[in-house]
Amino acid sequence: MSADESPIKDKHLLIAVDESDSSRRAVLYVADFLGGFPGFTVTLLRIVPAPEKDFFDNAAEQDAWVEEKLTAANKMLENYRQVLLQSGFPEDKVRYRACIEQSRSFSDAILETRCDLTCCTIVVGRHHKSRTEEFLFGSTSSKLIHEAKNCAVWVVE
Amino acid sequence: MAFQNGDYPEKELLRMIRKWLPRDRIPRRVRVKDTADFFRVDYDDVVFLKGVPYLVRNNEREGRFGLEDEQKFWVKRARNLLTGDVKILKWVFKERFDAKIGSLVFECVRSPEKEARILELVRGRPDFMQGETVPDSSGNQLRVLDYITGKTLGQHTLELGRNHEDFFHNHFPALLDEFLGVVEAIRFLHENNEKHGDIRRDHIIKDSETGRYRWIDFDFNYRHGESRFGFDLFGLGNVLLFITGRGDITTYRLLQESPDLLERLSEDDVNIVFHNRVNNLKKIFPYIPEKLNRVLMHFSLSAPLYYEYTRELLEDLGEAREDL
Repeated sequence: MSADESPIKDKHLLIAVDESDSSRRAVLYVADFLGGFPGFTVTLLRIVPAPEKDFFDNAAEQDAWVEEKLTAANKMLENYRQVLLQSGFPEDKVRYRACIEQSRSFSDAILETRCDLTCCTIVVGRHHKSRTEEFLFGSTSSKLIHEAKNCAVWVVE
Repeated sequence: MAFQNGDYPEKELLRMIRKWLPRDRIPRRVRVKDTADFFRVDYDDVVFLKGVPYLVRNNEREGRFGLEDEQKFWVKRARNLLTGDVKILKWVFKERFDAKIGSLVFECVRSPEKEARILELVRGRPDFMQGETVPDSSGNQLRVLDYITGKTLGQHTLELGRNHEDFFHNHFPALLDEFLGVVEAIRFLHENNEKHGDIRRDHIIKDSETGRYRWIDFDFNYRHGESRFGFDLFGLGNVLLFITGRGDITTYRLLQESPDLLERLSEDDVNIVFHNRVNNLKKIFPYIPEKLNRVLMHFSLSAPLYYEYTRELLEDLGEAREDL
């Protein structure tokens, strides 16, 4: 059996990112840590939190907002993909997806994607939120640590 | 200009006004106004909505952000001239702004559509204000709300008991039962994926007709993060703290009235957002049971975990209620 026909499945990592520096650190960490090693697949995920429709005057304004955000998200994801490729990940082992999320929380959306893709590890950057901010609006990394099942969660400082 | 004024000549409108108003309040003549611009609708004007004439009275007022009695020009008290019922007419007024709590800034919106949606959702419920959304001649969706006669939860709380101890032993258990109902109402909203958006004690009015508390003013919405309802829960925590302390217990107040009690407090004992408010009320009122105090401490600076859902708060409050 050749190496290409190895029965060992790739370890699939899901890196959930946004425009923050902490997300950039998470991507760079994975690039440094795993770049060049065989047996890893990475999916970069950007969940764009859409404001509820109350924040828009009409559907056209909302659609324009969504399109603009998705374009920006795909551009960012392509940049991060290039970072991973340059670190040694093969072309076919790095994918990305961007989606708009309105009703679910970030963590729920990330966990559901992890489940769909059967990823073994979730990687996120840690946002340094104040206690007030975490109290009022929650923390995705904390929620992931508490809620994730059947996977590892890497929270990158 | 075409008004939706049906077949009511001025004489007939005056006759109706005389029926519901004392003589000294009757205007000399009736001015029928279009509803398109709320700034042009004044006291003593008549507006028509779905063919019903309303005599407009004063703008409603609200204390907000430290400003007392800020006029809400888009919210006017009015009398339905057919039935005599007092109503609140709420014009479409959409605003988008950044709210600030300490250094935290987050986006908020005042959305007539949100309030209209919730009015539909809570139709017939005794724990929410009631009303309907009515299109005017320009297609604006006005809300026609029942006027609720009664005191706010805050006003009511301050009137109970001779002192805190008397209040806590003789009035608080019943008040907490009522508060549990108030939280249940918010749970209903949350379970239907809606936020209240502006939870505070003067948005909870004890309806003198039913004796039950009703939530009012749910046109605010905020941009949430990971926790969709965290900000609403923060509001509920503030109200709970207020009713348990029979008013806000602030460090300033303690400094003035009981400096010895202030000495006993540590920074962990204060509110996570408003650091001048004391959450560890057991240190001030030792007869407050531990379980209830623990709920209050979930909103304190030392809280290791925060409530994310109303059901969690309700469960803990239910247990705390058993100890009263």
